[in-house]
Amino acid sequence: MRYGEGSDAVTALESIRLSVEAHEFISIVGPSGCGKSTLLYLVGGFLQPTTGEIRLRDRPVSGPGRDRGIVFQRYSLFPWLTVQDNIAYGLREMGVPRNERERIVADHVRLVHLEGCERRYPRELSGGMQQRVAIAQTLACNPEILLMDEPFGALDAQTRRILQDELRRIWRRGTQTVLFVTHDVEEAVALGTRIVVMASRPGRIKEVLTRGFDIDDGDEFEANPAFAALKLHVWRSVKEEVDASRT
Amino acid sequence: MTGARRGWQATGRNMLRILPVLIVLALWQFASATGVLPKSLMPSLFEVGRALAGLIASGEIVPHTLASLGRAGAGFFVAVVFGIAIGVLMARMHSVQLALEPILGLIYPVPKPALIPLFMVWLGIGNFSKIAVIALACLVPIVIATFNGARSVDPMLLWSARARGTSERRLLWRVVLPSALPQIAAGVRTAIAIAVIVLVSSEFISSEAGLGFLIFSYGGVGAEDAMLAVVLYLAVLGYALDRLYVAGLRKAMAWHAFAH
Repeated sequence: MRYGEGSDAVTALESIRLSVEAHEFISIVGPSGCGKSTLLYLVGGFLQPTTGEIRLRDRPVSGPGRDRGIVFQRYSLFPWLTVQDNIAYGLREMGVPRNERERIVADHVRLVHLEGCERRYPRELSGGMQQRVAIAQTLACNPEILLMDEPFGALDAQTRRILQDELRRIWRRGTQTVLFVTHDVEEAVALGTRIVVMASRPGRIKEVLTRGFDIDDGDEFEANPAFAALKLHVWRSVKEEVDASRT
Repeated sequence: MTGARRGWQATGRNMLRILPVLIVLALWQFASATGVLPKSLMPSLFEVGRALAGLIASGEIVPHTLASLGRAGAGFFVAVVFGIAIGVLMARMHSVQLALEPILGLIYPVPKPALIPLFMVWLGIGNFSKIAVIALACLVPIVIATFNGARSVDPMLLWSARARGTSERRLLWRVVLPSALPQIAAGVRTAIAIAVIVLVSSEFISSEAGLGFLIFSYGGVGAEDAMLAVVLYLAVLGYALDRLYVAGLRKAMAWHAFAH
């Protein structure tokens, strides 16, 4: 994936090879500027690769589609729509009849614990609540793949931890495959069943680690020595890249 | 905090708002009464007030108000419809932007009342030429606001909508226009003030009714108190229109945090 033309061109991503199974939770972690968001936007179909291709169930991705839902760090929500209209947005575009729409919206309001906020506008909600709405909005369209671009990056530590647990719970009960971009090592290990560490300039995959143990709902996984070891490994791997990009 | 107390605080804030106006009016009356401001230069506030009360009580001002509001309203309405359409076209189609941007740049600084004689040659001395000048003057700020609003739509919102199944054609209605709305609303607000300003100038020339005509004819016969009475009336009318618009906007666009 290259940006720009001629001598100003920047190679954002190079020789990326990654295949993902259904219902995996892939964390993509790396220093800023390593192209982890670009990778996500390629899968989303918002950007087209300069060379190579993205395949989904053996069909090449040519543009955005409802089989892939995306949650951004900010600005996923339409400020002029209420919480329930935001969640219903994709359903309306699909032409889902009203009764059905209302039922799905109510289900998803419950899923992300936003009962009572249905008629509020995004600006009346805290950052954490806005991201809950964004997740509900995306899940309501029932995508196969959930693309998340540092969705909890702008939240305070407590809210982030709570939303991480809820996202894991939602993922465990559902069938979605998740690609989760973050610069937070602990978040990457706490959520991902596989953790992709990226290197920068040009952006490429450095290593892919499998989390060998399971994290259940409500687990205090921080106390698990295996978790600490994996987190330390990932952190050292990322730090190497941060140090390398400084020189 | 109780509702009643909040109500009192709001009343207090509103009183504070008009306090500077009251002070200026009091200084005016004081200067007239003490002879600092001689009658030959300017009538006193009380005389202007008496003239205004007369104009309203006799009903004389009503047909002129209606004539003026009709012209300003017609020109303003045309400007809103065409201004939003042109602004959106400029933002969405590069060729339209290239064609219109320099023309707009030239029209912007021209004092629109200066075009009235030309418009009269084209459209006659009746209402049409006046409405056309008002429309042109109101058009420019609306086009610029719409253009800027529609152009600066957050690309993430467009991506978000596309990923949720919105087609390129529907993006305009579902995302571009709603997200440009706060800026469009600000441009329309500017246009309201401009409509009043250009209205009065257009009525100075060859009209038989309207508030501008009234100012011009009272000024011509040396009735400064009545002339200033109409000016004061216009100021209050323009202010009321603006407040009404802003209040309506806050209600209609509750999702947006307005600065004013």
